Amino acid sequence: MKQKARQRVRAILKMLAPEDYERLEELKINDLGFGYDPFGLELESAMLAYIAGKIVYKSWFRVESHGVENVPLAGPVLITPNHSGVLPIDAMMIGVDVVAKMERPRAMRAVVDNFAGLFPFVNTACYRCGGIIGARRNFEELLKQGEMVMVFPEGHKGTGKKFSDRYRLRRFNVGFMELSLVHKAPIVPTAVIGAEEQYPYMFDLKPVARALNFPYLPITPLMALFGPLGMIPLPTKYTIYYGEPFHFYRDYPPDTVKDPEIIYGLVDTVKRRVQELIDAGLRERKGVFGFSLLPFKALLGRVGGEAPAGEEEDRKQIQERAGA
Amino acid sequence: MAKKKEGAVKSRKAATGRMEGPSGKKRRVAGRKKNVLITGVTGTVGSRLAEALYYDKNVGVIIGVALGAKPYYFNQFDTSRFRYKNLNILKQRDLTNLFLAGDFKEARINTVVHLAFLNRIVSGSREKKSFNMLNVEGTRNLLEKCIESGSVKKFIFKSSDVVYKIRPHNPIYLDENADLNFDTDVDPWIKDRVDADMICQSKLDNRKVNIVILRFSNIIGRMVSSQMNAFFDSPVNFRALGFNPLINLIHMEDVIQAIQLAIHKNVKGVFNIAGADTAPISTFAEINRSRMVSLPEPLLKPANTLLRALGLTRYYYSVDADRLKYSVLLDTRKAQKMLGFRPRSHVYFERGVA
Repeated sequence: MKQKARQRVRAILKMLAPEDYERLEELKINDLGFGYDPFGLELESAMLAYIAGKIVYKSWFRVESHGVENVPLAGPVLITPNHSGVLPIDAMMIGVDVVAKMERPRAMRAVVDNFAGLFPFVNTACYRCGGIIGARRNFEELLKQGEMVMVFPEGHKGTGKKFSDRYRLRRFNVGFMELSLVHKAPIVPTAVIGAEEQYPYMFDLKPVARALNFPYLPITPLMALFGPLGMIPLPTKYTIYYGEPFHFYRDYPPDTVKDPEIIYGLVDTVKRRVQELIDAGLRERKGVFGFSLLPFKALLGRVGGEAPAGEEEDRKQIQERAGA
Repeated sequence: MAKKKEGAVKSRKAATGRMEGPSGKKRRVAGRKKNVLITGVTGTVGSRLAEALYYDKNVGVIIGVALGAKPYYFNQFDTSRFRYKNLNILKQRDLTNLFLAGDFKEARINTVVHLAFLNRIVSGSREKKSFNMLNVEGTRNLLEKCIESGSVKKFIFKSSDVVYKIRPHNPIYLDENADLNFDTDVDPWIKDRVDADMICQSKLDNRKVNIVILRFSNIIGRMVSSQMNAFFDSPVNFRALGFNPLINLIHMEDVIQAIQLAIHKNVKGVFNIAGADTAPISTFAEINRSRMVSLPEPLLKPANTLLRALGLTRYYYSVDADRLKYSVLLDTRKAQKMLGFRPRSHVYFERGVA
């Protein structure tokens, strides 16, 4: 961004969203002298992304969060949420949430899949807003600098999950655990409820995906029905839960990385905790869109149609009511 | 063993004793004096290095080697300290004669800085071959001669960051162990550099000669024939639409500083050397007040070919195709730790200072 454009962005943000601007001003980056950090993060671009994200956060997904006080205010930290929803909107919502809700806002550095680097605009947008391509060395560098790093241990397998597999965690990668032990970074298990239904994923166009260098190319019913308009995600209600941080490095020295059995055990502990948070969140939520669909479902049931695909809990409740 | 050790100390004393001085301390300093042979001394880096070494108290005699007559700017140097040799390092006979020459032996050359490298982009296959011969075979011949000579204790090769393989998922900082570009379809301009770098690397464990490879980022300065210099000299800069990679630019003074440190420090191995200025390519274009046009990637090559055909640019897109998309920054921690290198100067453009 040119110097004048930066000044203009700041002036506009100050005028339109003074409170947000004040918080964003508290963010610190490791400026190399031209307004960029070594990874290409630019504060003004991140500010713009935050404001755009905040609109979606507030108005479209109506995000609620619990336990943000569990995220350390300083030092290296790893946020490890479940990943889902075809597009990484969950990453964006967590990024907005920590800036909006933390006592002292911190810039979230999201580890992005390698393939994102290949594409024009995506590549630049990712770097300018704080994303980093998932090379281990980058990850290490950020933790050394004491940054807050968000890593999705499921990888792209998470976003490529089918609708029928929603809220079932895929296998966790172990790299984050090794880096956590080496760099003494606490791990905050995090669950995102609501993202898994934003794009009901039907099937994967694998040959096209392969040709385009994508890990998958999901087709949703909305895309089939409305074409490009189907790319707009459903306005599901997001709820984010931050669990209490794990400080494994206190009990396990960095040398533990040489013992895969222990590492896999620790990764499983994190995975189980994320799954618990998900399950608790699912039990508490009122419905996919933030309100109960039971009256509609009951109505559909009465006219003889099947209840629409929804949560199993909802269906059980319907059956219980019918039984009563 | 003890006898051997004693012998080593004696011979070291004898070596220092050659340099006369009233005190032992002075003798030791004199003993550390480097007598340097510079190949490609008429190039921008070569001539600046020769000048810097001429005024360096810890450097004794300098022999500058290049093709062609002695340039006028070397006439200011005292011939007892600086000698110029016109020879082709590609020719075995020329090289042998150089190492056997009285001048060379008398000067007690113990350090060789190899800068001779043809940077011009060529299109004809015959020209490409001759360039490859000078760049790659010339480096091999010179290095072998240095090892054979017995008197040369250090060989410094100026390489560059173009040897690294550029990928979208590279770590942001490439260290000295990062993958090199061994692609078969790579431009000969890069291939020559990778081959020469590899020749030097293959001899790194040589016990007689300490080999130092310095991989520099983009050098910016007047008359420097670097890709980025050519890029910013062009009236219009084309860049890939949707990409704006971070680049690092290094000032000529820092290049000279790094080579001088490599000459004086007791080190060997590969070192990345980067400058003080890192920013997206568009930021440097803005500082340079140059016109930057973003084009879809498939149009970049034809646009560059057109500009080259019209004589409007010396920049060669094929060499930098990936560099215009993905960031390449060098990890200089090793150079900081072992050489004590810290960039001191900021680059400046004709039209603005970074």
